[in-house]
Amino acid sequence: MAISCSYYLEPLDTTDLPRRFLDAFAAILAHSNYAPVLDAAIRISARCGRCAVTCPVYQVSGEARDIPCNRTELLLAVYRRYFTTAGMLRARFGTPFQLTEATINTMAEEFYRCTACRRCKLECPLGIDHGLLTHLARWVLAEVGIVPKALRVATREQLDGKTRNTSAIPEAALRDTCEFLEEDCRDTHSFNIHFPIDVEGAEYVFFPAVSDYLLEPDTLMGNAAVLTATGASWTIGSKYFDGINYGLFYSDRMLDRIVSCEAEEVKRLGARKILIGECGHASRSAKFFVRTFCGGDEAPEVVNIMEYTCDALRRGALKLRPDVIEERVTYHDPCNIARSGWIIDQPREILRTICKDFVEMTPNGRENYCCGGGGGTVSIDEIRQFRTMVGGATKAEQIRRTGATIVVAPCANCKKQLREVCEDHGLDHVRVVGLHDLLLRAIEVPAAMGVDDEAAHAAEVGR
Amino acid sequence: MIDGWIELARGPLFRLSLAVCLLGLGTILFTTGVSIVRSWRSAGDRTLPIGAIVRTTLRWVAPVRLAKVRPLYSVASIAFHAGLLLVPLFSVGHVGLWQTDLRVPWPVLPPALADTLAVAAAVALLGLLVARLSSRVMRGLSRPQDSLVLVLLLGVMLSGLGAAHPLWAPVDARALLLVHLLLADATLVLTPMTKMAHCILFPVLQLVFELGWHFPQASGRHVATALAKEDERV
Repeated sequence: MAISCSYYLEPLDTTDLPRRFLDAFAAILAHSNYAPVLDAAIRISARCGRCAVTCPVYQVSGEARDIPCNRTELLLAVYRRYFTTAGMLRARFGTPFQLTEATINTMAEEFYRCTACRRCKLECPLGIDHGLLTHLARWVLAEVGIVPKALRVATREQLDGKTRNTSAIPEAALRDTCEFLEEDCRDTHSFNIHFPIDVEGAEYVFFPAVSDYLLEPDTLMGNAAVLTATGASWTIGSKYFDGINYGLFYSDRMLDRIVSCEAEEVKRLGARKILIGECGHASRSAKFFVRTFCGGDEAPEVVNIMEYTCDALRRGALKLRPDVIEERVTYHDPCNIARSGWIIDQPREILRTICKDFVEMTPNGRENYCCGGGGGTVSIDEIRQFRTMVGGATKAEQIRRTGATIVVAPCANCKKQLREVCEDHGLDHVRVVGLHDLLLRAIEVPAAMGVDDEAAHAAEVGR
Repeated sequence: MIDGWIELARGPLFRLSLAVCLLGLGTILFTTGVSIVRSWRSAGDRTLPIGAIVRTTLRWVAPVRLAKVRPLYSVASIAFHAGLLLVPLFSVGHVGLWQTDLRVPWPVLPPALADTLAVAAAVALLGLLVARLSSRVMRGLSRPQDSLVLVLLLGVMLSGLGAAHPLWAPVDARALLLVHLLLADATLVLTPMTKMAHCILFPVLQLVFELGWHFPQASGRHVATALAKEDERV
């Protein structure tokens, strides 16, 4: 039987697939902390259905397979049968559950219908983290070769390719792009910014979602404007400059390798901190897993660009023109930075300063709804219909209710998804932008960045 | 004759059931505790958001989310948990069990309050059972144990009320008392073996799931070695 899903797979060896699945599961259990989680889940799962009430996918699809605890049960059934004493005994004396290719096929489809937004965890009285179990299931699937082609191809280029980034941007093109952005900012916004590359001993090494270099020039110019205006000691590393980490979506092995690349680049440049651009999953994977995989307390500190900007604003190092954005603006919380409560207030503080008419979506913050493209699904173009019309339907309605014409989404993936959601839901009047895109319009530029004072600028950036 | 059975159910059977329950729950708590320590020690990042874990745990003890999501379900859930915990421990009819065995002063609920709690718990249990069986989605979600546990607990509550108030009882109160004792003993035995085990794991569950995200430092590399994939391209 061939594995068939709604997303593309690379050619897959299905020989002895159930046995290989169990071997991979066993290896992961032996070398991870997932077993206690699974033990707890099989013991206490109450099947109360609260997770169904809060899942944006189930709320729209109405399909039982989209209820988080139903999806989780696919993996728990395998664990219970093959990795617990009770399951093995039951198999001897009854009609046992058997892992088949069909079961694996079902898992392959259903674990990628989850956006891994982890909203269901907020509502589970017993704290079952279905997002964590989806994460684990996807890793096991990945070890037998079941990974959406889009994620795998990008990760291959990032880890084994020549360019070492998911968008396959060569170093020369990076340098050209940075120069172009500097010129574009001078021409369009009438002030100078600078993208330092390979500066040794800088405080921060900057890792945006690398796709920003191709698709989000305003976000990058805004990032550079803030960093230049505040006199930050920062650099881009030419040997590794991609914040994207699809390992978070399908394999801890890849997650480890990718964050290790970031830490190595920081080490190569003799820098101290990792600065992640506007990207939810890039931020979460670095913030929570650089420490895990790169030396615990010895690992470089991880800062998100919004934390940096808000801190500069609070310190008075960054001056913003109040109320300069006159359109109605709303803010989308990327799940990967908001669900844990990490970054919620900082962007709002900035937006309330520069926007005349800032409105909140309901709910928001930790309880936000996913854009519908979480968990890496945004990169899978062939499931766009599902992503926007099912996963993103609740978000579309939230946006519509605010009446906003600008949605700020400080995440490369959320931006792509929300643009498609707006397109597919008739919200053509809504613009989806990054936070720093707006800052480009609101920043009070220090004299040193003025276009008429090239010498002062050179002195400023050379500091 | 029935008195002999009652004595058996209240005496040796109860003690045996309680022992099975405590031993089972103790084992679960101990093994979970060992797993927690082991997971934490092997984690590449040992920093835990203890404050958030405690707050989340307490949030489910104090029902602050009641008004937001499925309020009826939440009220029912709290009512039956309160009745289930407080009545067996502190009602007049039960307090003798604990005082006899433990020989310590034991608080007692006013009978009217105990009755109210028991009735509320029974109504809530019935409501939860009806909700589970009447909805196609919930039936789809449920395993047999999900309904059977509710039936068992409802049986314990109703037979207990009947035994405590012979005037309410449709049948002989002594027979109801025997049923109550046998069902209660069965509940004790089943507690560690079913989802009722969450009564002991509840305080540490948030921690267990948080630790799941704290991967061992070299977990990926070890898995690669175990699967002979060290040199495999992505």
